[in-house]
Amino acid sequence: MNSSPLIASPHAHDANTVAETMGWVLLALAPATLFGIYLFGWPALLLFLVTVAAAVVAEYLSLKIAGKPPGRFLADGSALLTGVLLALTLPPWAPWWVGVVGAVIAIVIAKQVFGGVGQNLFNPAMAARVALLISFPLEMTTFVEPQPLFSAAAPTLQQSLAITFGSGGAAIDAVTSATILDHTRTELGQGVALDEIAGYDPLALAWGGVPGSLGETSALLLLLGGLLLLWRRVITWYIPVALLGTITLLATLFHLIAPESYASAPYHLLSGAVMLVAFFIATDPVTSPLSVRGQLLFGAGCGAFIWILRTWSGYPEGAAFAILLMNAFTPLIDHYIRPRIYGRDRRGVPLNESVATREER
Amino acid sequence: MKAVAEPSYRQRVGYQAGLLGGFATLAATLLVAGNMITKEPIAEQQRRELLNSLEKVIPTEIHDNDLLADPITVQWQGVGEVIVYRAKYEGLVTAVAYRVTGKGYAGPIHCIMGIDASGRVLGVRVLAHTETPGLGDKIEVQRDPWILSFNGLSWGNPPPDQWAVKKDGGGFDQFTGATITARAVVDAVAEGLAYFEAEKSVLLASYAAVQSQLVVE
Amino acid sequence: MATSYRRIARDGLWDNNVVFAQMLALCPLLAVTGTATNGLGLGLASIAVMVASALMISMLRGIITPQVRIPVFILIIATLVTLVDLFMNAWLYDLHKVLGLFIPLIVTNCAILGRAESFFSRNPVLPSLMDGLMMGLGFLLVLVVLGAVREILGSGTLFSDAALLLGESFRFLEMTLIPEYRGFLLMILPPGGFIALGFILAAKRVIDRRIAEGTIWADSPQKEGAR
Repeated sequence: MNSSPLIASPHAHDANTVAETMGWVLLALAPATLFGIYLFGWPALLLFLVTVAAAVVAEYLSLKIAGKPPGRFLADGSALLTGVLLALTLPPWAPWWVGVVGAVIAIVIAKQVFGGVGQNLFNPAMAARVALLISFPLEMTTFVEPQPLFSAAAPTLQQSLAITFGSGGAAIDAVTSATILDHTRTELGQGVALDEIAGYDPLALAWGGVPGSLGETSALLLLLGGLLLLWRRVITWYIPVALLGTITLLATLFHLIAPESYASAPYHLLSGAVMLVAFFIATDPVTSPLSVRGQLLFGAGCGAFIWILRTWSGYPEGAAFAILLMNAFTPLIDHYIRPRIYGRDRRGVPLNESVATREER
Repeated sequence: MKAVAEPSYRQRVGYQAGLLGGFATLAATLLVAGNMITKEPIAEQQRRELLNSLEKVIPTEIHDNDLLADPITVQWQGVGEVIVYRAKYEGLVTAVAYRVTGKGYAGPIHCIMGIDASGRVLGVRVLAHTETPGLGDKIEVQRDPWILSFNGLSWGNPPPDQWAVKKDGGGFDQFTGATITARAVVDAVAEGLAYFEAEKSVLLASYAAVQSQLVVE
Repeated sequence: MATSYRRIARDGLWDNNVVFAQMLALCPLLAVTGTATNGLGLGLASIAVMVASALMISMLRGIITPQVRIPVFILIIATLVTLVDLFMNAWLYDLHKVLGLFIPLIVTNCAILGRAESFFSRNPVLPSLMDGLMMGLGFLLVLVVLGAVREILGSGTLFSDAALLLGESFRFLEMTLIPEYRGFLLMILPPGGFIALGFILAAKRVIDRRIAEGTIWADSPQKEGAR
């Protein structure tokens, strides 16, 4: 592609290449990832490795079939990142094939079929997560109590191999536990008032020592990673702030009206996939709008859908569905709210001309 | 492909109206004929299906009557009209079967249950439900033998407060990830049994009725 | 007029296939193809309606005027569909329970009205019958292929419950290809239908390109020597 000598203006360019961007995102995810692996032990590490490897292999094979040079496209790290993001949203003790099927769906169906990196309409990791959740509801909702590495209760490597690759059914059944979202939803459905439902501990949710997906439990570490990305300007604040702000607003409003049936804002912000989604998924430059106003709208839409789905839908967590829904709206948002073209005003009139017309008036 | 010479009468409104009317008549005739031919078989199929589900909860050995022959309709508080099918052996009611409905995760779970004259569950089957496939559909007997665990139980065995899933302190297994589904079925069956205990005399009353009928005849 | 029956057959089955080329009838297609047997059932019902409407419309094409043709076509198709619906309810009860919702929808299957408008009403009886049959077969082909793909991936079986549709003698068709399969629900649900259809369409285009290039199944003999 670089063989063309044609160079078009403007000569502004982004300091970060795709590969560098991916690198920073991976680095920002590292604390939450390492913590998740520590918290859920060897099975989590095995699942993580299998999922990431499957994503990279699927990318390689897709590129081969499509006749693109695999080496160059693989080096951009986007498949690696998709694999990592998908792994982080899986139940940590899920069997290996959940990770593999998810990675294949993410890379082949959600990404390469649309034309590869930069062409996908939906966030690959979230598309895969939704597909997995619909297809394997049992595996995707079997969460375990944290069994930190090197603690007495943690499974040995051998047991872990059985959990991830064999039939670790008995070992898993012993420590299964509902996530706070699941638990609250079930109890609310039985007419139990919110303040009587045991198990809601904002502090534990914040640092993350609770049952949940592999890399979603620690809201603080994810926030930390998000701040790193903001500082490096890999992402902008518009989407995360709009997303988290909308959830806070809706949750607070309804909590004030009917505290016994609507959970408070901290509960929503600290539980489930909200932090991961706000900083790492919704901000995906490919599947989110271009303009600032578009991004604010997109973030607010994600937040609203997350809260609505969690509160009124059949599923306890709606983050992945919310992202896909708003991904589908992205082309529409970009159609109506266009970014200003460099050198032109919002209506597309060149700047000096628009100044001239204004003066004429 | 142009149509050959168009006769002028075909342009008249009368012809067009007649044409439409003619086809409508033809269609109506065909449909009436089709309905007449298929009416009997369809009714027979529906009868057979109902009978099939009844036979799953009432063993054939304990009755010699046609289960669909003389159902009674009872008023069930909070539910409405419930049709009770009765199995009889030599005129005596040996078992009853009726529908019970549980409040499932994604909608009502319709079950049919058979209870013998002593109040023991003969069988429970789910007729229709909208629970999550892969999680809540274990209430179907084809997928999981769980629903058979009701067989032989009654309103005193286990005691009424044990008619709940283990998570709620009762005696029944729930499914991982689908507690609400299992709870709904347990509640529905418990409700059905409680009703039987309360209205036993009405449900089994036919004995006297049958006797008097015999006398009259 | 000289209508090539071979051409009609090829159009119906492949080149101008209801689904592959015309992209019609996707609603019943995606809704019922959870199993190959369901696809087969709807396909057979559609063929019956297609052929019967081809017969009636081509026979009556001389007396139907252009002004009232659409209501007449719809009337004929709707009558036939209702009859099929009644007969299936009476004699294929279990299959009807599965397909029931979609049988009446054959009326709205644009493919049938489309053929009525563009072929049956303009051609003699025999070519129309041939066209109806081939279009129906083409639709059946897609229904069965899509149903088979989704059934194998979704539940690991093939032609399950075929005996319900075709009678006990066809029980041998019922296969469990992947024993102890956990099931892949996505494929059985409508989104899986879209995904599978997308891949099948892609495969059709690859085959078409290969045919055009002459690398497989060279239709025109002069190309055979090319490679």
